Amino acid sequence: MFDETIARRVRPLAEAFRDAALVRLTVHEDDFELEFRRAGGAAPVAAAPAAGETATGPANGSVPEVLTSDVVGIVRFMRPAAVEGQRLDGDRDLAFVEALGIRNPVRSRGSGTLSAVFVTDGQPVEYGQPLFAIER
Amino acid sequence: MFKKVLIANRGEIALRINRAAHELGVQTVAIFSEADRQSQHVRFADEAYCVGPGPVMRSYLNIPNIISAALISGADAIHPGYGFLAENARFAEIARDHGLVFIGPTPTVISSMGDKATARRLMAEAGVPTTPGSDIVASVDDARAVVEKIGYPVLLKATAGGGGKGMRAVYAADELETAFATAQAEAEASFKDGRMYVEKLIIQPRHIEVQVLGDEHGNVVHLGERDCSIQKPSHQKLIEEAPAPVLPEAVRERLHATAIAACRAVNYTNAGTLEFLVSGEQVYFMEMNTRIQVEHPVTEMVYGVDLVKEQIRIAAGEPLTVTQAELHPSGHAIEVRVNAEDPEHNFAPAAGTLGRVEFPGGPGVRVDTHVYGGATIPPYYDSMIAKIIAHGATREAAIARMERALSETRIEGVKTTIDFCRDVLRDPAFRAAGVGVEWLKTDFMPGRHAALPV
Repeated sequence: MFDETIARRVRPLAEAFRDAALVRLTVHEDDFELEFRRAGGAAPVAAAPAAGETATGPANGSVPEVLTSDVVGIVRFMRPAAVEGQRLDGDRDLAFVEALGIRNPVRSRGSGTLSAVFVTDGQPVEYGQPLFAIER
Repeated sequence: MFKKVLIANRGEIALRINRAAHELGVQTVAIFSEADRQSQHVRFADEAYCVGPGPVMRSYLNIPNIISAALISGADAIHPGYGFLAENARFAEIARDHGLVFIGPTPTVISSMGDKATARRLMAEAGVPTTPGSDIVASVDDARAVVEKIGYPVLLKATAGGGGKGMRAVYAADELETAFATAQAEAEASFKDGRMYVEKLIIQPRHIEVQVLGDEHGNVVHLGERDCSIQKPSHQKLIEEAPAPVLPEAVRERLHATAIAACRAVNYTNAGTLEFLVSGEQVYFMEMNTRIQVEHPVTEMVYGVDLVKEQIRIAAGEPLTVTQAELHPSGHAIEVRVNAEDPEHNFAPAAGTLGRVEFPGGPGVRVDTHVYGGATIPPYYDSMIAKIIAHGATREAAIARMERALSETRIEGVKTTIDFCRDVLRDPAFRAAGVGVEWLKTDFMPGRHAALPV
């Protein structure tokens, strides 16, 4: 039973975490809670954090927030498309998810650094699918 | 034929539809909630989209996300299964407006049959006998006026109702006010529609229903009847069989002819079921379900017709593959619903993680299920986890085969209805056949409870 849980639920998440530029990933499900933390702190993000942040490490605040899709649709990036490592000032539209002709905006919800882009422009996305990660 | 069908459901029926589609060479798209990510219906589909979190309002009833999944996957049709959006005319309409074929009857037929008061009126106009009763009653006073005409006992029923919800039996005048208020509140909570009607309560009726298929070329056939009288106190079916045993041939023929006439009256297309109450020689139309039903396998076993494949073919504009003259029942089939419920505590649903799971096999046994050892049963959905169907040359042979099949079945980790159903199969009254819909509650359960070891 435990082996099956590892194989079916934990391993795919661990692989996703390994491949993504994240330092911490917390998963809550009904009967299930799991947290991954990257050893050594700094995530392999495209842009290295500023010297001061490196010294304090991610435990002191720079934990990426993952923006997920609330709808099923096609993700379309805003122009110019945001790129990994880019500094985001204030609340801005990063993309929208087009569903039944309606554009559902994906906002940065505040400033930060875009640490990961999980999707490509024009890709179909499902409910809960990670789109962007932002380090606050 | 379609290239790709989206299955807007979960559990065993989603898997059942997936099988039919694959056998027809049609690709499938599953939808799932976050609670069902590991479900078999997701695993066996060609592609799958998460449409929302566990609660049904945000996932399996989330029309925009489901339609969007159909569109981005390039599906050309949607099969709704049973429950959820299967009898939602608005959903069928939205699908059509987005260029998707809804595998079921037209939105107009769904909405007139789904509204029970309208359905009764239409059926009465088509000469189908209905129980004495009323149209919508606006208040308890209106209900009382109706009862004064038709007499107690009566059933108060929600026009949007189903599964026993929003329904109360009333035997005396002093029970009416409370029963009306509670049934109406239940209907409002369950269906967001508190409209009620009154029906004469037929004493000791059997629940017998007729399976029909209609295509877009004017062909309508019936595939005999099913007896679904073994119902829990909540009126949910527990054991079903086909054909209905100990039924006078004249009554059987009247049921079949009535079902065909009703379908013709509304130009019915796709699969449907007309439910009747049968009391002696009397036959009363109850309602029509405009979808595939849970218990459809017993009909498939005795007629050798794949009803889900027929549904898909009909929706694709093809004619029925069978004519009435070719349809003859062969032998007898019984279905037992295995629910994750505790029969000793009023069938309270049990969620949890399954331990060891073993299903039966061998000649004449069919198992429709989505669960497996280690599977999680989320708390959000219906408690049915499997259907076990047994076919035999006679009713006795089918019962013996079912007893053998249930003795091979092991489901650990949750309480189930298996042992309860084994006791029903052994009961002399069940063996003699022809019990009414209240039998389980009023006769079998009290007797079994008294006989159980303390």
